[in-house]
Amino acid sequence: MSTGYDAIEDQFLKPEKGRRTILRMVKDILYWRRDSAVFTTSVVITAIAGVLYPLALGLAVNSILSRNVGSLTIYSVLFFLIYFVQFFSNRTMSLSSTKVAQGVIKRMRDRAFYNLQKVPLEFFSKVKAGYLISRIENDSESISDFLTYQLPQVISGVTTIIIAAGIMFYLDTTLALYSLLVMPILGLFTLVIQTKVRANYLRTRRAIAAITGNLAETIAAIRTVKAFNAESQIEDRFKLLNSENFDANMKATRLSSSYSSAIRVIEAVGIVLVIYEGSIALLNGQISLGILVSFIAYVQQFFNPIVQLSQLYNTYQNSMVGASRIYSIIDSSPEKDSGNVDIQKFTTSIVGRGMRVTYDGSVALDRVTVEIDKGECVAIVGRTGAGKTTLTNVILKFKYPDEGDIAIDLKALNTIDTKAYRKLIVPVLQEPFLFNGSIFDNIEYSKKGITKDEVQSFINNYGMSEIFRTLPNGLDSPVGEMGRNLSEGQRQAVSILRAFVRNPDIIIMDEATAQIDSKSEKNIITAMRNYAKNGTLILISHRFSLITLSDRIIVLEKGNIVQEGKLEVLANREGVFKDLYKRSVSAYVHVTGGS
Amino acid sequence: MAVESSGSRGKRVSLLGVLEPVLFARPYLKKSGLSFSIVIAAGIISNFTLLLVPVFIGDAVSAVEYGIYSSIPRIALLIVLAYSISAAATFSLNYGGQYISQTYAYNLRKDFVSHLVRKRFLFFETQTSGDLLSRGSMDIEATRNFNLNMFTSLFPTVFLIIEAFILLFIISPFFSLLLALAVPVLIFLGIVSSRRQRPIWRKIRDTYGKLGETLQENIVGQRVVRGLASEEKEVDKYAAMTKQYYDENYEVVKVRVTFNNLMPLTVAAVTSAIIGIGGYLDLISKASVGGLVAAVTIFAMLTNPVSFLGRMIVFSENSRAAIGRIQEITASGGEEDVEPSDQSLQPGPLVFDHVKFSRGENVILRDVTFRAHPGEFIGITGKTGAGKSSLVNLITRYYDADTGTISLGQKNTKDIPLSILRSRISIVPQEITLLSGTIRENILFGMDVSDERIKEAARIASISDFIDSLPQKYETMIGERGITLSGGQRQRIAIARAVLRNPLILILDDATSSVDPDTEINIFNNLKEYMKNTIIIMISLRASALSFADKVLLLEEGELREDLPGEEGGNVNRI
Ligand SMILES: Nc1ncnc2c1ncn2[C@@H]1O[C@H](COP(=O)(O)OP(=O)(O)OP(=O)(O)O)[C@@H](O)[C@H]1O
Ligand SMILES: Nc1ncnc2c1ncn2[C@@H]1O[C@H](COP(=O)(O)OP(=O)(O)OP(=O)(O)O)[C@@H](O)[C@H]1O
Ligand SMILES: [Mg+2]
Ligand SMILES: [Mg+2]
Repeated sequence: MSTGYDAIEDQFLKPEKGRRTILRMVKDILYWRRDSAVFTTSVVITAIAGVLYPLALGLAVNSILSRNVGSLTIYSVLFFLIYFVQFFSNRTMSLSSTKVAQGVIKRMRDRAFYNLQKVPLEFFSKVKAGYLISRIENDSESISDFLTYQLPQVISGVTTIIIAAGIMFYLDTTLALYSLLVMPILGLFTLVIQTKVRANYLRTRRAIAAITGNLAETIAAIRTVKAFNAESQIEDRFKLLNSENFDANMKATRLSSSYSSAIRVIEAVGIVLVIYEGSIALLNGQISLGILVSFIAYVQQFFNPIVQLSQLYNTYQNSMVGASRIYSIIDSSPEKDSGNVDIQKFTTSIVGRGMRVTYDGSVALDRVTVEIDKGECVAIVGRTGAGKTTLTNVILKFKYPDEGDIAIDLKALNTIDTKAYRKLIVPVLQEPFLFNGSIFDNIEYSKKGITKDEVQSFINNYGMSEIFRTLPNGLDSPVGEMGRNLSEGQRQAVSILRAFVRNPDIIIMDEATAQIDSKSEKNIITAMRNYAKNGTLILISHRFSLITLSDRIIVLEKGNIVQEGKLEVLANREGVFKDLYKRSVSAYVHVTGGS
Repeated sequence: MAVESSGSRGKRVSLLGVLEPVLFARPYLKKSGLSFSIVIAAGIISNFTLLLVPVFIGDAVSAVEYGIYSSIPRIALLIVLAYSISAAATFSLNYGGQYISQTYAYNLRKDFVSHLVRKRFLFFETQTSGDLLSRGSMDIEATRNFNLNMFTSLFPTVFLIIEAFILLFIISPFFSLLLALAVPVLIFLGIVSSRRQRPIWRKIRDTYGKLGETLQENIVGQRVVRGLASEEKEVDKYAAMTKQYYDENYEVVKVRVTFNNLMPLTVAAVTSAIIGIGGYLDLISKASVGGLVAAVTIFAMLTNPVSFLGRMIVFSENSRAAIGRIQEITASGGEEDVEPSDQSLQPGPLVFDHVKFSRGENVILRDVTFRAHPGEFIGITGKTGAGKSSLVNLITRYYDADTGTISLGQKNTKDIPLSILRSRISIVPQEITLLSGTIRENILFGMDVSDERIKEAARIASISDFIDSLPQKYETMIGERGITLSGGQRQRIAIARAVLRNPLILILDDATSSVDPDTEINIFNNLKEYMKNTIIIMISLRASALSFADKVLLLEEGELREDLPGEEGGNVNRI
């Protein structure tokens, strides 16, 4: 199941090559110029101080051997001073590494979030919410871990290695060469397993995303799960992903632990080589005992960071995989055709010609031609799945037709600035999604600066006060996540209000009153009638009472417009409309006496 | 955001709090005794062998100093051997530690989900999915991380200090005394550091939850966001959250840097004392410097692990904050007993007897009494927000009534196990949730029945023609939340799902609001024909739908009023 999904996800979120990720990461780190400069400096100071102790120690040993109390005192104080300097440099290092790390992930998250507002809506019907959340939230944590804790070690490790190597060469070139003998083996070894390590970590990141995704869906569907008593099935499904995650992690660990252990053995060989060569050199009188002691200490200093780096290599790969997964959200292509032609007012008409809309190849609208004039109230009716919502999606610029074109006031929709356009046209969607907060928060979300009194007068004018009557806290009532703590009709009412307070030129209502009782609906309709005098209204409804309000009816059937005209006309003509509204039509014809 | 936090979190302030993550982990690591011992042994061995290396090097130096070169090959061999053993032990330590921590996370996650899915409805009304999600993913991960480091780093570090102490004692009891003096200082610094960090980590974990909340809300509500052109507002909202996260993380590091870096400094002070004092003693006694070199090397090896102790405090406090959040799910109680039991449920009438239901102060149902018999088709109508959905939610006991009884087949629903009750009642809610997966999976939703029955259910719900028109028919994948279907298609799949269970009671909560009138008529005709022994309770606002009911009840002012059966001008017209 999850593998099939991964393939779909890869289409929308293209995985990136390892090398590019690193370069981008470096760029992102350097974006915080000051912090990363402070950070690098403090790491280097820490590292330099670090490589100095063996020197102080060696000098102290020499002063013991030469029985010099004065220099012994100096060197042991020096020894402490080195640590004291390190105390401050470490402090600065932690502060700056946190700034860099948190800064980097903040920017990554912000950019990913930003781009999510730009991708085509289709993206969200393919990529699952939980998986996206896992990328943006969880994967970025792996980056921050690496940058906060491991990157300092990497930089100080590399610095230590370089300085230690330098001192070693300075002390004795031959000995130094001997101790470096094992390096090529190590490098080769690392190179060989690199791809495997990366693949392992990709698997673990996917496994945790699958867990998050599954959890997200379960929580979203929890009411249905309970309704159908499917708790244990859900648990079973989860168990599967949970064990996949376990296996993926253990597999990754197997390789990374073997790697770290192998490096230890290589280190031992390096140290032994030095002791061997060192004692021979000492025997030949080429070096002093003090030098040999510090040399051995340096060899350890040299290898310690290498062993550490080898362990970090795994976390490094893990966070790079994480980074590439966020970069792919940042990179996912934004909606095409978002033009920049400004539009201030709707003056004449919206005209769509020969529009063909498909979802994954299946046709939802088949060469539809519509015209909606300013000031009109048009009802779109048709069987479920006929393409009504799809038509409004096209008008709303949520979806672009594959063929044909659509224009407002003779300006092609795809050349118009989306932001300006959305100020003219506001939808009330079929699904009344509300934001967590109070009713008032939700309305204010749509129109900044509106006061409670103004909202209340909107409610009164549209005859909605009955709807909110049962709420003890009125406009301040919390609506809960997605508005779930309101009744369904109340949710719809809020979402209608949210559109009306904007006073837009065009309102599209997609079954927006389906769950509202007829009396309140009638109130809303009447108020809208007044509104429609100067505004344009596009209504989708199955309710006859609402349809009677319209000036013109468009009947959709299987993606085609099959009938179009005034109610009086359609009611008296055989066809889809009359089939759909048998009872109501006959009652209507009865009352009006036909025409 | 999340409620009920302070209560369960406030209690843990005792000194033993440091052990909290360990105590918390215990039940999830019941059968890991063996791996436990292996990892601990590996930790001891790995360190011990590594500590031997300085001793060997010291030996080598002494040997060279006194010109005994013959012992060098033997010492070299010992060094290689020590490293190899240490390498093997390190492998067991890393692998075993990971095994334990992953086992822990596996079990904890399992427990988390099993508690979560059993929480009562009321619980979910107070939580947000994004926050719950963070608890189930990163909070668990934070505690796992601590566990892993406890095994792979904390235990070894503690052993290392003990072993260093022993070795030092052998080399010179005086040196070990110096180390013993340093330990209380280290502990003191650790305690102060963790005390100061604790409240900040709690904030960080909560903010992390809020990040998830904001993100999740934005993704799910993307159409509204775009429809209202509020993308910029959303971006700002999220950026404010990430800013807060940044600030809190910086706040915690400010505390940590001072205390945590004082720890290695303490060790350094002791080491300098050894060089100075020990060196002086060697100098006047003309003793070998081998011992001193070994002692200093041992101390130098301690500074890194000791600074790691500081980082452990970070992990531990992060983990403790996370544990608090996880326990709000796993240890807060309030789960429903949904385990299957072999009791059966006899068909019979559904009776509401003077039922009262309120939410806090808000009385939703004042006094509801009605009776429905098998085969009866009851319509319920009433104004928006009148309490219709609340009423039917009491039947499946998503919520419990304040007073009065609801019985089914002469049995009080409170005495019927939830698994039995809910498996015999099907509900099509107002807000349909479908899962990503195939249409078949969504209709089945955990059931296991023949294809014939699935098709029949689809026919009853008038959705079979549509499904058959799809290239992959019942195997067609639908997006998350049914996003790739039209409103009416979703509703009809939900109806098929409900019908498939052949329930004693079928509840349709405005289940055809997005279905065209023609199709709606078909559905109701089918229901009447196929579900003859079922009590059908339909909530609707449409006269056309209500006209199918045998009896229409009007919910008004918290009371149900009965009127003439399905007649025009009856209840239907009153609303
Ligand atoms: N995102 C999508 N991906 C794939 N197919 C889709 C998607 N959205 C809609 N469809 C399909 O396109 C067709 C038209 O759907 P649309 O939502 O426009 O219908 P509708 O007329 O609004 O129906 P209803 O009255 O039930 O809401 C349906 O068959 C539907 O399954
Ligand atoms: N989870 C909740 N938390 C708090 N209040 C709630 C919750 N669910 C419903 N309510 C309130 O209880 C009252 C009754 O709600 P209910 O959903 O039962 O109404 P309804 O009759 O089904 O309305 P509709 O026709 O709009 O679906 C409403 O005022 C509603 O705001
Ligand atoms: Mg629709
Ligand atoms: Mg309801």
